[in-house]
Amino acid sequence: MLVLFETPAGFALFKVLDEGKLSKVEGLWQEFNSAESARQIVKLKAFSKFENTSEALKAATCLLESKPSKDLRKFLRTHCDGETLAVADSKLGNAIKDKLKIECVHNNAVMELMRGVRSQLTELISGLAGQDLQPMSLGLSHSLSRYKLKFSADKVDTMIIQAIGLLDDLDKELNTYAMRVREWYGWHFPELAKIIQDNILYAKAVKLMGDRSNAAKLDFSEILPEEVEAQLKEAAMISMGTEVSDLDLLNIKELCDQVLSLAEYRAQLYDYLKSRMNTVAPNLTALVGELVGARLIAHGGSLLNLAKQPGSTVQILGAEKALFRALKTKHATPKYGLIYHASLVGQAAPKHKGKISRSLASKTALAIRYDALGDGQDNSMGLENRAKLEARLRNLEGKELGRAAGSAKGKPKIEVYDKDRKKGPGAMITAAKVCIFLFLFSFFTYNPAADSILGLMENAASKDDEEKPMEEVAVGQEKKEKKKKKSKKADDERTNGNVEAENEESVKKEKKKRKKQVAEAGGENVEAGEKKKKKRKHSEANEEESEVPSKKEKKKKKKNDD
Amino acid sequence: MRPPRGRGGGGGFRGGRGDGGGRGRGGGRGGGGGRGGGSAMRGRGGGRGGGRGGGRGRGGGGMKGGSKVVVEPHRHEGVFIAKGKEDALVTKNLVAGEAVYNEKRISVQNEDGTKVEYRIWNPFRSKLAAAVLGGVDNIWIKPGARVLYLGAASGTTVSHVSDIVGPNGVVYAVEFSHRSGRDLVNMAKKRTNVIPIIEDARHPAKYRMLVGMVDVIFSDVAQPDQARILALNASYFLKAGGHFVISIKVGVNSLQLYVLANCIDSTVPAEAVFQSEVKKLQQEQFKPFEQVTLEPFERDHACVVGGYRMPKKQKA
Repeated sequence: MLVLFETPAGFALFKVLDEGKLSKVEGLWQEFNSAESARQIVKLKAFSKFENTSEALKAATCLLESKPSKDLRKFLRTHCDGETLAVADSKLGNAIKDKLKIECVHNNAVMELMRGVRSQLTELISGLAGQDLQPMSLGLSHSLSRYKLKFSADKVDTMIIQAIGLLDDLDKELNTYAMRVREWYGWHFPELAKIIQDNILYAKAVKLMGDRSNAAKLDFSEILPEEVEAQLKEAAMISMGTEVSDLDLLNIKELCDQVLSLAEYRAQLYDYLKSRMNTVAPNLTALVGELVGARLIAHGGSLLNLAKQPGSTVQILGAEKALFRALKTKHATPKYGLIYHASLVGQAAPKHKGKISRSLASKTALAIRYDALGDGQDNSMGLENRAKLEARLRNLEGKELGRAAGSAKGKPKIEVYDKDRKKGPGAMITAAKVCIFLFLFSFFTYNPAADSILGLMENAASKDDEEKPMEEVAVGQEKKEKKKKKSKKADDERTNGNVEAENEESVKKEKKKRKKQVAEAGGENVEAGEKKKKKRKHSEANEEESEVPSKKEKKKKKKNDD
Repeated sequence: MRPPRGRGGGGGFRGGRGDGGGRGRGGGRGGGGGRGGGSAMRGRGGGRGGGRGGGRGRGGGGMKGGSKVVVEPHRHEGVFIAKGKEDALVTKNLVAGEAVYNEKRISVQNEDGTKVEYRIWNPFRSKLAAAVLGGVDNIWIKPGARVLYLGAASGTTVSHVSDIVGPNGVVYAVEFSHRSGRDLVNMAKKRTNVIPIIEDARHPAKYRMLVGMVDVIFSDVAQPDQARILALNASYFLKAGGHFVISIKVGVNSLQLYVLANCIDSTVPAEAVFQSEVKKLQQEQFKPFEQVTLEPFERDHACVVGGYRMPKKQKA
């Protein structure tokens, strides 16, 4: 077995003399404690020295990408015939295997071997003293890191990040300056601050006007709308401001110039940012707009970093403080961060902001990935998704309208999921309780019906003495189920009752049980027919009786539930 | 003065800390110049530590008058103490006449007339200095040592380590963030014993070509898997019987948002976190010797010093 070892001075191939030692990984490092014992294990087979730094750099950059450089391939081809090669990087091993058909190994033992070789490097490679290696590694590292810094992958994003940072700074600065203008000129003409709200217009007006006594003579039509101009002129006449000297006014005007030039610069910068965003991340821009998109990139560090974030993260990017507070206090986490300022979220009703922010965030995450890693250069994907989101927004709002109009009255109310609500056994108990109540309820409702039947029965009994209690029971049962049959004649009742009784036997067990109860009740009913006066009492007793078996049934039901 | 960079250019959710360089979760640390290094950055507080601020204030205040100051060697070889109006930790400047990050310098005249320049080492900006002042038994970084420095940032501490190891030692400084890497490479231009490596410390294989066997690994990567990073690097580059110095920070939650489970949770009390980190190290043939807290210089930090694959004691 051969070992490929990379040094800043060149590639080295070592021959492993005793491969049996490799099986004992734990003890391997002890063999490398001294130069002598190390020489027992490995022996330098070949060494390919880098001619100059540029060659070393080329080889090193190839190694970074786990690819064998041209020189390395040549070196291996000449020295590595029919032997397995131990490499420090499994990917490099695969590449060598593909290109040169040399078997490569990479495992713990190899790593341990590499460690050993590294520790005794200067001893093992003759003619390579420590002081030679050091300048090589210094030179290589400097050129390598210069190379890396020069071809920094996220340099385009840096432009956006800086631009958005500057834009924010400018906004802040502009506001401070404008407020200063207002404050300063306010001593001379305090009413103007109320009349002109816009900072830029204010600065323009001040610059044009100078002393407020000039106001009447001047034409503000280029800056201000007519009614505001009239207001201004009127206020200038009766202003309560103090008089200021020309020198003061000169300085105020200079500040106005500053404000105006800053505003102009800001507009220019915004255009720049727009064009940058449209080239770097067209789909992201289509979805959330330039500003929000740029802020997202700035927050993520780079577009590529942002592409590694899931949609849920994109959704709350910028709301970290709220998120951590929520996580710590176990409250609801925020619904939106930077994405809140996207126009889609802005359009949504407050109720739907969270929902639309979630949908938007997931689409945004896709768009970011597409921008960062895809080949497409246009924003068609972003526009398509935006249309979808807008449709969803309309859909959400349409639903809301429909509900308000009451068209969805039959729909079951969707309960808000509450994670703190009891689950499992607790829920079972409530279910069982509901069952009990249902059963009780069914019996309670039955009994009054039976009562009313009693009355009817009496009449029937008085008409036809042949009627048997059993039939009565059946009738009772039937009556209970279908009240409309109550009014039918006794003969009909009899035949119906018989059929019903036959049917009754074939139905489920539960019904049988009920039948039993009804039979008991019916038995009493017969008595009741004989003794009218006690009727009510009986019915009460009936109720009590019926309650007992119903409880039994409850228990059974419970068991089934369990 | 550098313009303030938005949010420190941090990745993912760590923007506020000015931490986290080029990649989402990791990569060295100290994203764009979060930490010192800049021309006129004052203290560390600027970029990095929300609230930790404190910054300078101490150290180097009245350290000018060369005649009044007496420099004495510290217990640790290569480190010195300047005794003037106030005491300050200093290192002997390898490149006389140059300051790396606008730190104060003290020139002292020897008896034979030669001048020696020292640079003040601010414990508020350097965790290693804080550990030294915290009374750590041995930092193992001494003249002639070969040091692998993970999380080099802009190279403020690295410059002092390079002072300590001197022209015969080597410092391999690994930093992933390009922004701070720029300052690091600039610093390394003047100091030939520093080898700058702009690479992710998670993948030591990528710089295996540059780094030889080292005596000490100093790790200052504020990452949730810092113990793993250290173990990986040690398995590549740390000699048997070598030592490690790792600074551990509580509350580095890189926040894979809801996956807090495998991160160091900031809500866990400080001591417990240190303990779990130490335990992680022990599993990897690391033997911790001691642990010092970096208070009052760094909040929620501790420094653990230990050995790697230590030889068995003979007398046992």
